[in-house]
Amino acid sequence: MIQAIGRRSISGIEAVGRFGHFLMDLGRALSDVGVWAQLLIGQMRRIGVDSLPVALFIAAFTGVVLALQASYTFTGAVPLYFVGTLVGKTMMLELGPVLTGLALAGRVGASMAAELGTMKVTEQVDALETLAYDPQSYLVVPRVLAATLMFPVIVSFAIATGIITGWLTSLALLDLSTPDFIKGLKLFYLFKDVWFGLLKSASFGFTIALVGCIVGLATRGGAEGVGRSTTRAVVFSAIFILVLDAFWAVVLL
Amino acid sequence: MKRENEFAVGLVVIAALALIVGGALWLSGAHLGRTEAVYTARFRTVGGLGAGSPVVLRGVRVGRIEAIRLAPGNWVEADLKMYSGVTPPAKPAVIAASASLFGEWAATLISSEPPPADPNIRQALEEAQAVGGGKWPGATLPDIGQLTAQASRIATDIGTVAARVQSAFDSQAVMDLRRSIHDFGQVADRLARVTNEQADVIGDVGSNLQHGSDALARAATDLKATLGRVDTATNQGQLATILNNTAATSTDLRSASQDFRQLMAAANRNQESLVRVLQNADTIFSRISNRSGTLGLLVADSALYRETTLTMIQLRQLLSDIQANPRKYFTFSVF
Repeated sequence: MIQAIGRRSISGIEAVGRFGHFLMDLGRALSDVGVWAQLLIGQMRRIGVDSLPVALFIAAFTGVVLALQASYTFTGAVPLYFVGTLVGKTMMLELGPVLTGLALAGRVGASMAAELGTMKVTEQVDALETLAYDPQSYLVVPRVLAATLMFPVIVSFAIATGIITGWLTSLALLDLSTPDFIKGLKLFYLFKDVWFGLLKSASFGFTIALVGCIVGLATRGGAEGVGRSTTRAVVFSAIFILVLDAFWAVVLL
Repeated sequence: MKRENEFAVGLVVIAALALIVGGALWLSGAHLGRTEAVYTARFRTVGGLGAGSPVVLRGVRVGRIEAIRLAPGNWVEADLKMYSGVTPPAKPAVIAASASLFGEWAATLISSEPPPADPNIRQALEEAQAVGGGKWPGATLPDIGQLTAQASRIATDIGTVAARVQSAFDSQAVMDLRRSIHDFGQVADRLARVTNEQADVIGDVGSNLQHGSDALARAATDLKATLGRVDTATNQGQLATILNNTAATSTDLRSASQDFRQLMAAANRNQESLVRVLQNADTIFSRISNRSGTLGLLVADSALYRETTLTMIQLRQLLSDIQANPRKYFTFSVF
């Protein structure tokens, strides 16, 4: 048992070391702008634009549920215009970034881990190195940058969609007028709410892409290993999102 | 494909930027393109006021709190960003107060001329004004939480009192109370009757008093007349005569009193003789009662009584016969 604990400890320390080494390579690869810049737009399209429907779908129903649950909670005690406050604050600070991050961890992180894992097990990564391409600047940097840049964009649309569907739900089902909803929305609004959510979403995008790339490039064992890497990428991304969410809440709120 | 990607990504990014910037400006109520003036107010405490809280003038939102910071001298300074075109009142002051029950605070602009009626607010404003520095004086009203806490304490006290009243007024207590009220009603009726009666009595007394007063007045009049006569008598020497007569009468009375004392002494002596007579009589009556002695035997013995009676009758017949026929019993001769 002591041996097992020791092996796991050493393995964990080695993983941290590999992660640090990976980050150093990533930093060095950032200087290779000519390689990753021409791939960046394509990754932004894949990671950002193509993910919008999923993110907006989730955000739309989140807004509906938030409005209904807020009205259910506030009945008889709190003025109904606080539905706008709750929907706005919750979408901007928490559910917009976190739910979108979790959804895209499944879509983007799994996609990256599977793609890079397949390239790894089919020795395409080795071929790139043979052709004098740095896998970091060719594969990792465009993905990480694209995710970091596009996640705030997706989350901003998700926040707006959630607020709009919450407003429509309030109009249609809660007998709440538009001025009242807007009054609640503006009541406790701070610009910090916006940049806090966008900063969180950028960190989520960076983490999801980084985890997908690390896990994908560490894939071993053929198709089975690819599947295992995909699963690990989703699980690790989800865990890191929740940990980062708590971290930002402690640090910035 | 590459141009298509660039277009899609560019479109989405631009739309997101527009959404973020536009939404943030709309939600914050910023007025682009218009000059906003910033004023600073000084408070001892700002309560629940925070950055972004509305600034209100006569109920209309005219700006927002831009920043709040601690200042030297235990002061707090708040920057008020006012919308363009808004003219602050003359001698402005700022009141930070809770705007609703749900934690919303607002800074209300007022004019410190005339000063507010609330003495605490007036004192706070004067204190902040005295520091100077071109900053608006500010005061903070109590938080809704403090008011509700006070109300809660009052409600708790009322609840305690109500609980005590409830425990004290059980069904038996209510019955007793009802009975007491009934008794009290009866007492009140009786008291009313007594009061009415006493009112009559007092009326009579009053009437009598009035009569008495009238009589007293008459007596006073008579006394006045008497005194007048006395005064007249004094003047004519009649009073000296009266006094002399009174002295003679007093001497006679003293003499009579002495005679009376002697008489009483004799009576005491006679009383002793009388006591002895009575004692003898009591002895005689006792012997009679005890059937001792001649009288006792005479009283007790009926035969003796009859014999005595018969003897008396015969004696009376003898006397009659002697009166009728003296020669029969007496022989009278001269020689």
